[in-house]
Amino acid sequence: MIHKTKKILIVDDERDVLTYFEAVFQDNGYDTVSAEDGIEGFERAKSEKPDLIVLDVTMPKQSGLKTYRQLKRHAALKNIPVIIVAAVIDSFKVLLDELEEPELPKGIFNKPIDPQALLKVVSEILSD
Amino acid sequence: MAEKLSNVSSPNDVLKWINPQLFEAIPLGIAVIDSDYNLVYANKAFERLFGPWKNRKCYNVYKSKDAMCSYCESAMTFKDGVSRINEEVGYDKNKIHISYLQHTAPIVDENGNFPYIVHIFTNITEAAQIRDEHQILYDQVPCNILLIDKNFRIVKANKRLRDSLGNPEGKHCFEALKGVKHKCTECTARQTFTDGQIHTGYHVWKTQTGKTLHLHVVTVPLKRADGSFDLVMEMAVDVTQTLKLQDDLKFAHSYLQTIISTSMDGIFAVNEKGKVTIFNPAARNFFKIKDDQIVSREELAAMLPKGFLAKVSQQPGHVYLPETEVRANDGETVPVRLIGNKLMADDGSIGMAFSVQDLSEIKRLEREKLEAERLAAVGHTVAGLAHGIKNLITALEGGMYMLNSGLDKESIDRVQKGMEMLARNIQRISIFVKAFLSFSKGREIQAKMSNPADIAEEVVGVYSVKAEELGILLKNEKIGDIPPAPIDYESMHECLTNLVGNAIDACQMSNGTACQVTVSAFEENGTIVYEVTDNGCGMDYQVKKKVFTTFFTTKGLGGSGLGLLMTQKIVHEHGGSIDLKSESGKGTTFRIRLPRRRLPKLIEKEA
Repeated sequence: MIHKTKKILIVDDERDVLTYFEAVFQDNGYDTVSAEDGIEGFERAKSEKPDLIVLDVTMPKQSGLKTYRQLKRHAALKNIPVIIVAAVIDSFKVLLDELEEPELPKGIFNKPIDPQALLKVVSEILSD
Repeated sequence: MAEKLSNVSSPNDVLKWINPQLFEAIPLGIAVIDSDYNLVYANKAFERLFGPWKNRKCYNVYKSKDAMCSYCESAMTFKDGVSRINEEVGYDKNKIHISYLQHTAPIVDENGNFPYIVHIFTNITEAAQIRDEHQILYDQVPCNILLIDKNFRIVKANKRLRDSLGNPEGKHCFEALKGVKHKCTECTARQTFTDGQIHTGYHVWKTQTGKTLHLHVVTVPLKRADGSFDLVMEMAVDVTQTLKLQDDLKFAHSYLQTIISTSMDGIFAVNEKGKVTIFNPAARNFFKIKDDQIVSREELAAMLPKGFLAKVSQQPGHVYLPETEVRANDGETVPVRLIGNKLMADDGSIGMAFSVQDLSEIKRLEREKLEAERLAAVGHTVAGLAHGIKNLITALEGGMYMLNSGLDKESIDRVQKGMEMLARNIQRISIFVKAFLSFSKGREIQAKMSNPADIAEEVVGVYSVKAEELGILLKNEKIGDIPPAPIDYESMHECLTNLVGNAIDACQMSNGTACQVTVSAFEENGTIVYEVTDNGCGMDYQVKKKVFTTFFTTKGLGGSGLGLLMTQKIVHEHGGSIDLKSESGKGTTFRIRLPRRRLPKLIEKEA
């Protein structure tokens, strides 16, 4: 049985973090695409139709929180699972609570991350 | 005329001789009219009163009328022969209004007819006038007057009393005036009946409509020539209004007294002679003065700021010191808000009144707020630090991962990449740590009297060469006079250096050609303001939101993200605030505001 290779969109404003995550995911059999801020991330989600999105929170131009809400309100994108990987996640959780966001992210990881733990969650989400 | 008289009376020699004499000598005016009202005789006294009378009718002489009076006593006497007396008004020989009593008596002839009538006049003009004046006085004097007999029945009451209480004549005074069935226990009229003296008292009457009147009463015996009397005149002045005003005044006084004595603010007053007349409990508590201690004007002046009392006394209106210090009795100084008022009445000053508010608590809260703001700044810094460090660690881990996996895969390219990532992020750590060290040194700011405009001028001087090289017009504007203030010169210098550096960077990032950075310093309403304005690239909303809150940088590896955080920390430590206005593509203005009253205390001068 041949599985179609799953595609992951990584959104982070740190170029080195992108390089890191791209290598980790590619080494484990995933395709990756990247974006360096929230606006670019939303555009790439629309054009690339990834199977999963890894999203940073604190970014220039447009934050991860706004991008997350944008994704969840977009008819074609709202079903793509999102994992938050950020340096400061506490305020992000509080904000999601306050905004009474109907759907929570599939995973929330605090930087620095354990790549094995991240990969485990990703594979669970993406195994059909 | 004498013959005529002798015709109708019995002839008598003595009478014949005496009649004309008596007739002329008598001081009353006497005249005789016939049945056609012609005056046929009159004596000298009549002529003195009415003037010429011959060939004239009575009504023409007495009343200056051309026709008979509509009501004529003489006409009736001509008919019935009855003598009459009545009061008349008419005109004297000078056409002046007079009042007179007129006796009308018939002259009876042998047949019992009345061919003539005798008029005898008594001039009562003066008496009538006095009587009228008395009546007016009696009725209209602003006072109730009544006459009471020994049985306490009201014989007479003046109009004023009848108007307010109805006509009480014939009734018992206690019933008519007070609505009670029995004599009053305290009765000024009875006192007067008993000893014949004048007595005064205070009475309460009830009107028929239920209104209560308060009266000041005087009772006077109405004595006859021999000193005996049956009646007492009672004069009662209505003092209801006066009493009400007195009550109102008493109420207003105690109302004010209560407010003053319970006020949380210190209230005190000095009268026009300089005597301290009011010193409320709050003020006593405040100045630490015992309840029974009297404060002299000199003592008061010593407690208040120098010259304050004199200043208040010099001008009408108030003198307001929003923030000053007073000296309590124990020598301690207290921060206060002080208001002095010169009190004016119609004809000049009646003294001064003062209100003093304790600012200690407000000052304490202000200090606490400043402290909280400083702690919040530290909190932001720590949160920002965590963010920065976590990103750095993640990048370092990434480098390690690339290096390790590159070695495993024997991929030189990947090893190379990993090495670069490690090197780059170690370099970042060193920039970061340097900035952080200077930030974390967190030396206490050391405020010295500094000239605020000098700081701006010096910072502009530092950047002038660089700005010129970059083709940026860097200007320094000092608007108005800014007196020296307690500021940490070095720290504020660093703030402005950061802002000007940012502005120059923003200019370099913009596409415009005529770049300009302006640093201005001015003071408005006790607040020192620095403004750094550029027409560079500006910021969008997302960037604006973050500039002060995290280790945020738009300059990639070139900045630590600490500059503005540092600036904000210093400004907060000076009790000030910093904000920014920016429009993407148009430019940015940073504004530092330093209210003088929140500036730090000067450090002690070193010897």
